[in-house]
Amino acid sequence: METGIRILLLTALLAALPGCASLRDWSHQRAERRAAEAQRPEPRESEPPQDESAPPRVIEPEVSRRKITVPRIRSSNVELGLNYGALSIEDFGTNPVYGITIGYHITEDFFFQAETGRSRGGRTSFETLGGNIQLLTESERRFTYYDLSLGYNFLPGEAFIGRGIAMTNAFYLLGGIGGTDFAGDTKFTVNFGAGYRIVPADWLAVHVTVQDRVFQSSLLGTTKLTNNLEARIGTTVFF
Amino acid sequence: MAHSTSTTRSIPPSRSTECRADCIARLRQVALASLVLPALLLAPAVARAREYLQVFVAQPYLELHTGPGRGYPVFHAVPRDASVDVLFRRTEWFKVRTERGVEGWASQAEMLKTVLADGSPFVFSLGDRAGFTSHRGEMGLFAGAWGGANYVSGYASLSFNPQLALEGAVGQFLGRFSNGVTGDLGLTHVIVPEARASPFLMLGVGEVHTEPKATLVQATNRTESMAYVGGGVRIYLARRFFVRGEFKAHWILTKRNRNEEADEWKLGFAFFF
Repeated sequence: METGIRILLLTALLAALPGCASLRDWSHQRAERRAAEAQRPEPRESEPPQDESAPPRVIEPEVSRRKITVPRIRSSNVELGLNYGALSIEDFGTNPVYGITIGYHITEDFFFQAETGRSRGGRTSFETLGGNIQLLTESERRFTYYDLSLGYNFLPGEAFIGRGIAMTNAFYLLGGIGGTDFAGDTKFTVNFGAGYRIVPADWLAVHVTVQDRVFQSSLLGTTKLTNNLEARIGTTVFF
Repeated sequence: MAHSTSTTRSIPPSRSTECRADCIARLRQVALASLVLPALLLAPAVARAREYLQVFVAQPYLELHTGPGRGYPVFHAVPRDASVDVLFRRTEWFKVRTERGVEGWASQAEMLKTVLADGSPFVFSLGDRAGFTSHRGEMGLFAGAWGGANYVSGYASLSFNPQLALEGAVGQFLGRFSNGVTGDLGLTHVIVPEARASPFLMLGVGEVHTEPKATLVQATNRTESMAYVGGGVRIYLARRFFVRGEFKAHWILTKRNRNEEADEWKLGFAFFF
């Protein structure tokens, strides 16, 4: 059955791919520019049909049409930054966390965000009470998360400092998927959270974010969903 | 300029070495700060030195908003025939500066009605259905299954034409028996690019790195090459967004006697630019 699907797909693909070769519109990405050029009035190259009775033109005007070069408009949709905060690792205490985020604003409402961060799990109460028990080695206590999230800006607005300064701001919701390296294993992790962004300058933003990272863990005997809450403050630069 | 003052001369020579070390450290900090601060302050100034596109208002007036969003109030109107400099673009909004130096945000819809110096319309890429048919690149995020394990992946593509694109994807699978990462590169052929729901076919090669869970015997990590063939459908949602679902059949070229097969199913959310 599976092999059947493979053969079917492969045959369809082989049949379809030669079609690409026959396409004339290879550099379609220039379509917009060409459309703009098409709409511009064409410089008159040919002489208008001369009337037999009119005297012949003595002076040929040598006016070459000036070519206008249009400066490129810079896009500033990418946001890159660093953050620092506290991460509560379920059963392993609350510890400092630092990380990097990179975002891409797709529309005024939505953005994609990739995040990675690192923290360290503390001692569980079981270890503290049990005396000399070590549940994890030092390297296994390292907690690294990475994920891709979709963000939605809601309640956008402006914040004011005195009379003269206004800064745009927004609350946003985040949700996504990723992975977490902890206790010698990588876990599939779902994250969701919310944050607040204030933009003091067109190229700078300050974020305060709270996010929950949920993954399944069977480290302490029973398999359970662990919630790992993170609160962080960060600053980002727009590119 | 009879006297030149230097910061090092201000330190009396009679101080103890401990204090001198302290002072030097402080001086270093001041020097570092004096280097970093102007750099930070100059960064926007350097950006301002570039040449901007000038467009002319062809409609009765161009409204400028205080922020890049539909809800921000209009605080200024640029009259017909006046010009504005387009500073930069963020999503569907353009930051512009008028001849009098007033800076504000103009919407994509408003900017479409402006003209260039030679009278031709100001044309730029729009996030609409036409862009879905023909665009330069795509990026997206998927969730799904790889050989029965949870699978998270992202992809980026570069279009040669509306039908043919070069695509690269990276993913991570997290299963009960093994974890691993995959990476592949291939060609995608979109069969009907102008349709709202357009099917596509894929062909490519990749690598898979598998890390079996440590509890199993003979658990050694391995990296293997693979080839895939696949198909899927992309459905336009709105603006720059579309949903993409796909299936890839992978052949994993192992060093053992038999090659392995792995099926990848995924559904995701993507955008074009």
